[in-house]
Amino acid sequence: MLFQYKCPDCGNDMKFDSESGTLSCDACGKHENIDNYPEELKTARFTEDEANEYHCESCGAVLITEAETTATNCSFCGSVVVIADRLSGNLAPAKVIPFTISKEEATQAFKKWCRKGLLTPKGFMSADRIKGITGMYVPYWLFDLNSKVQVDAECTKVRTYTRGEYIYTETKYYNAFRDINLDYVKIPVDASEKMNDELMDKLEPFPYEQLKDFKTPYLAGYIAEKYNYTDSDLLPRAKDKIKEYIESYIHSTLSGYHSIHYKNKRINTSSVNSSYVLLPVWMISYDFNHSEHIFAMNGQTGKVVGKPPISTSKVSMWFGGITAGTFLALKCMSFLMGGGFW
Amino acid sequence: MHVLFDGRWFLVRGRFLKRSLLFLLTTYLLVSSFTLKTNAESINQKRYVYDEAHLLTDNEVAKLEALANEKGKDTNTAFLILTVNGIDGKGYIEYVENFYDENAPGYDKPHGNTAILFIDMKERDVYLAGFQKAEEYLDNNRLDLIQDKITPDLSNGKYFKAFSKYIELSHEYMGYKPGVNPENILFKWWFQLIVSIAVGAIIVTLMAYQSGGRVTVNARTYMDSNKSKVLNKRDVFIRQTVTKQRKPSNNNKSGGGGGVTRGGYSHSGSSGGKF
Repeated sequence: MLFQYKCPDCGNDMKFDSESGTLSCDACGKHENIDNYPEELKTARFTEDEANEYHCESCGAVLITEAETTATNCSFCGSVVVIADRLSGNLAPAKVIPFTISKEEATQAFKKWCRKGLLTPKGFMSADRIKGITGMYVPYWLFDLNSKVQVDAECTKVRTYTRGEYIYTETKYYNAFRDINLDYVKIPVDASEKMNDELMDKLEPFPYEQLKDFKTPYLAGYIAEKYNYTDSDLLPRAKDKIKEYIESYIHSTLSGYHSIHYKNKRINTSSVNSSYVLLPVWMISYDFNHSEHIFAMNGQTGKVVGKPPISTSKVSMWFGGITAGTFLALKCMSFLMGGGFW
Repeated sequence: MHVLFDGRWFLVRGRFLKRSLLFLLTTYLLVSSFTLKTNAESINQKRYVYDEAHLLTDNEVAKLEALANEKGKDTNTAFLILTVNGIDGKGYIEYVENFYDENAPGYDKPHGNTAILFIDMKERDVYLAGFQKAEEYLDNNRLDLIQDKITPDLSNGKYFKAFSKYIELSHEYMGYKPGVNPENILFKWWFQLIVSIAVGAIIVTLMAYQSGGRVTVNARTYMDSNKSKVLNKRDVFIRQTVTKQRKPSNNNKSGGGGGVTRGGYSHSGSSGGKF
C-alpha cells in the first residue's frame, strides 16, 4: 500500500518542509501540522503478496524500488511516495528525527566544509562538482544497555623518601574490588547494509531531544529505507561501541593507584531496550578526478564526514612549513637557553 | 587600465624587493658583527704550543699553532698546550699556576684570557685550566667534559688528534653561555632536526587522518550518570616492600678543580686524571 500526500486545497504533491517542520505544498503554500496526522501503521497489517508491485497513484506507472526502500519519488512523474507496508508492524519505526537542514542549506554547508579542508586539492575546494545530494532517513537501532561490572585488581602505591644517605622506595600492595553498575542510553547503531559503519559512527551525536513519534508524512520528499539488520543482529556491535567506555570508567575508579594489575574482570552487558528509529542524513556524491567521493552530513547538526581527496603538494607544504617552524622555534629556544643559534 | 594595474603591481613589487634587500643587509651586518667581533691577531700571545716532551713533529706544531691562532681570534682566548716530562714532585696544578704567573700568557693582554692543556708524560697526568674569560666560559664542568673526550686519544698516543680536539671543543664550548651544559641534547642541530621532522610528520598525519571528520562522542555522551556508579568497593592493604638505594654522592674527585695562583689569578680546572 502506498501513501501519497496531496494538498487538500490544490491537489499538488505535499512534502516535508525542514524549516517549518510541517507538511507543505509547494504550489499553494499550504502547511499542515504533522502531529494531527493519525498513525495506524504499528497495528496495521498488510498481506505479503500485496507487496510485490506498486503503482504510482499520480501517474499509474509501476514503481521501481529496491526491497529496502520505504520512501522515494516516482521515477516517472516525481511524485512523493511512501510505501506504507514496509513501515508497518515490526517494521514500524518508533521515533524519527526530522530534517532541519534543507537541501540548499546542506549544499551550502558542504561547500563551506570543502573550503575549510587544509589538505584538499584546490580544485576540490570550490565544490562545484556535486553530482547528487540526497536526503535520506537511515534506519538505526537505539540501544539502552546495562553493564554489571565486577573487578578484582592488585594495585600499588609507590612512595619515595630520603633518610640520611639513602633513598627509600616504599611500595604498598592492595587488593582492590569494584562493583559497578553502568547504564548507557540510546547508543545508535545503523541498521542499513549499504551504509558504511565507520562513516555513520562519525556522524554522531544526533540530538535526541529532537526525536519525534514516527509519522509517515515526515518521510515525504526524502528517501527512506527499512532496516536490514534486527536489533539482536546488532547487539554485539552496540556492546562493542561501549567497550572502551566501560574500560575507561573502570580505570577511573582506580585512579589513586600507581599501577593496576587486573586479576579478574567480569563485564556483563545486556540490552535493556532497543528501539527502531530513522535518523536524517544527507548523502552527497562528488566527482573529482574521475572518481566518486561519498560524503554524509548529519541532517540535524550539519556535521560532514567522508574521506576527501588529499593533495600531496599541500601535504608537503604543511609538512615543510611545520618542520621549518619547529626547527626555528627549537633554535630560538636553544639560543635563549644560552646554546647559541647555530 | 590593465597596463596601469600591472605598472602599479611592479611598483609594489619594487618596494617589496627594496625592503627585502634592506632586511637581508641588516641581518648580514648583525650576524657579521656578532661573529667577527675581533679580527686582529693577538698582540700578546705569539706562541701556543710548549711541547717540552717532544710529542709532536714540527709540522704538527705549526698546524696546531695555526689552529689555536684561528680559534683564539674568535673567542679572544689563547688555547695553550703544555707538555712536560716530569715536574720534580710538584703538583701539576701548582705547575700550571706557576706557568701562568711566569709566562703571563693571554690572548688579549699579559695574564689575560687563557686556557691551558697540561700533560705530564712521566706521571701520565692530564689537566686543564681556564683563566680570566676562559675561567668563566670553560668552568670545571666543561673542562671535565673536554678532558673526558680527549683522554682516550691521549692513552692511544694520538697526541696531535687530542690537542686539535681540545682546541676545537674549547672553542665550541665558549660559544655557549656560562653555566649551561654544552653537551645538552637540545643544543644539537641533528636532534633539533629530528624533533622538527617528527613534529611535522605527526601533525600532518593527524590532519590527514582527521580530514574525514572526527569522532565527537566520548564516554560521557551516552552514559546515564544518575544510574552509573560504583555500588561497592573494597581496598585491602596486603603487604609492602621497601627498597633502599644510596644517594648519588656529589662526586668530589680528588685533586683537580680550580684555584688561585700565587700571583693572585683565580682559575677553573678540570678534575685532572691519568691517561
